[in-house]
Amino acid sequence: MSEKKTILIIDDEPDTTTYYSALLEDNGYDTIIAENGEEGLEKLKEKTPDLITLDISMPEMSGLKFYRSLKENDAFKNIPVVIITGISKDFEKFITTRKKVLPPEGYISKPIERDKVLKLIGELIQQ
Amino acid sequence: MELPFEEMFDTLPCYISVQDKDLKVIAGNKLFREDFGDYSGRHCFQMYKNRPEKCVLCPVEKTFQDGKRYHSEEQLRCIDGRQVSVIVNTTPIFDDNGEITAVMEMHTDITEIKDLQKRFEDSQNRYRELFEEVPCFLSIQDEDLTIVDANRLHREAFGNGLGLKCYEVYKHRSEACIPCTVLKTFNDGIVHTHEEVVTKNDGTTMNVLVHSTPLRDDRGKVTNVIEMSIDITAIRELQGQLTSIGLLISTISHGIKGVLNGLDGGIYLVSQGLKKDNQARVEKGWEIVLRNVGRVRSMVLDILYYAKDREPNWDILSAQTVFEDVFSLVKDKAYDLGIAFENEIDENVGEFEADEAAMRSLLVNLSENSVDACRVDTKKEHHKIILRLSGSDSHILFEIEDNGIGMDRETSEKAFSLFFSSKGSEGTGLGLFIAYKIAKSHAGNIELKSEINKGTRFIVSIPRKKTAEAVDESVWLGQERRKPHVEGEEDV
Repeated sequence: MSEKKTILIIDDEPDTTTYYSALLEDNGYDTIIAENGEEGLEKLKEKTPDLITLDISMPEMSGLKFYRSLKENDAFKNIPVVIITGISKDFEKFITTRKKVLPPEGYISKPIERDKVLKLIGELIQQ
Repeated sequence: MELPFEEMFDTLPCYISVQDKDLKVIAGNKLFREDFGDYSGRHCFQMYKNRPEKCVLCPVEKTFQDGKRYHSEEQLRCIDGRQVSVIVNTTPIFDDNGEITAVMEMHTDITEIKDLQKRFEDSQNRYRELFEEVPCFLSIQDEDLTIVDANRLHREAFGNGLGLKCYEVYKHRSEACIPCTVLKTFNDGIVHTHEEVVTKNDGTTMNVLVHSTPLRDDRGKVTNVIEMSIDITAIRELQGQLTSIGLLISTISHGIKGVLNGLDGGIYLVSQGLKKDNQARVEKGWEIVLRNVGRVRSMVLDILYYAKDREPNWDILSAQTVFEDVFSLVKDKAYDLGIAFENEIDENVGEFEADEAAMRSLLVNLSENSVDACRVDTKKEHHKIILRLSGSDSHILFEIEDNGIGMDRETSEKAFSLFFSSKGSEGTGLGLFIAYKIAKSHAGNIELKSEINKGTRFIVSIPRKKTAEAVDESVWLGQERRKPHVEGEEDV
């Protein structure tokens, strides 16, 4: 049996991280949790995840800032990122276009549909 | 005395009489005799006017004095009681020695002309009265946009603007508006309609619906344009109450999505816990469900806050905590845009009485306005926003200062108006309006100092203690017109 894949969950809302973590672990993944972008960068140094789920609006370091740092770093830029957020896609598109970074591999709007999340994550991790 | 050409005079359709030096009538033509009777031994003033003594300004007497001809307008009374309006012309009659022996008076009946003139004046007065009393603001402008006439309501609201440019009077601008509907009407001769925010003499603003209508000369050329403005502030305020609910819903949609996500998560944990007989997971899930139900309750209250039924939820608040919450909410947005976001706090500022959610909404609105003002400013390389917190014995002061695009006088004056936005399609014209209403609902105020291309400073003062002025629903509903304090540019 192959080794479990690891997913880094970055979200400032503890209820959300508890939820995602339970859902992903129930479906055979290991999870690491970070409360904001800065903590997310720290966790990356400890273990490189196979995928990252990322919220946008967070204190300390926002998801967008984290995303830009990640994609500018050669060691981590290939890790697929699924943005899971409640803010409008237009806003996200505006910021990413403005700063000339590549779009994220996946985008899911809150509230999440569990089957859709698991399907998307499964596909991205297989790649 | 016999009149020369007597027969001819008798056929003339006017009164002709001759008076001697004592103003006694010594001759009269046929029409004169018919309308004023037998003249023998009678004075002209008795015959023409039924007066016991001579008229004060007697043209006949003057002609006797200097031999010149005189004419005047008089009102005569015939023997049948009719009043006749006439033009009087006097002519001296000389004897062989060149002495004036008599004066001939000729009266031309102008009663019909006088009647027409009166009807014309009455009609003019009626139109003037209509112009004066119509319940909207009327001004007439020439091609240079100079106001050449205005009605009573206009004068009361904007002062005597005659001779001034319309944009100076309505908007305190130094140049014409773009686009200008009055100029459009001058160009194409048709009626144009648009909506505006104008500033009255007392500094309050008003939403108006403006119609520009051409006035033409005999040849059809547009010589002037009437600008008719109807006050629609009350309609806009009503609309504002409805729209602010919509705005709030969209603003908190992020929160609603988060709550739904949380509830979904809680339900997932409970159901999985029950399935796997994992009590700890059930308890954790239930805890999440309860917490998110609480968040829904607080959001509903937020919506009601804007839907007028809710008075401010008064609480004793730490000014520093509110300030720091707002700072943390806005700073990411600022940092993401490369804007320096700093704060200066007087840590001894203490507590004040206010609605926490409303205060946060007010300060976030102003701070986000500053972020936008910096974002769109391409003239400076570095942008900075400073949030300051201080207090006096009676008030808490929040300051938000930026070095963004700044505002001109017109924008400053209208900044707090409903639906006024200088941000084009990006602005809703609601943010600052709501901020100002919240300040007023706390008996506080927002002072705005701004200079174009230099930046803007908002100073929010909120009383430390709830006062009688606060919680006045009429203020919250916007029935009181705003008069925000706007400093002159030289003060910035």
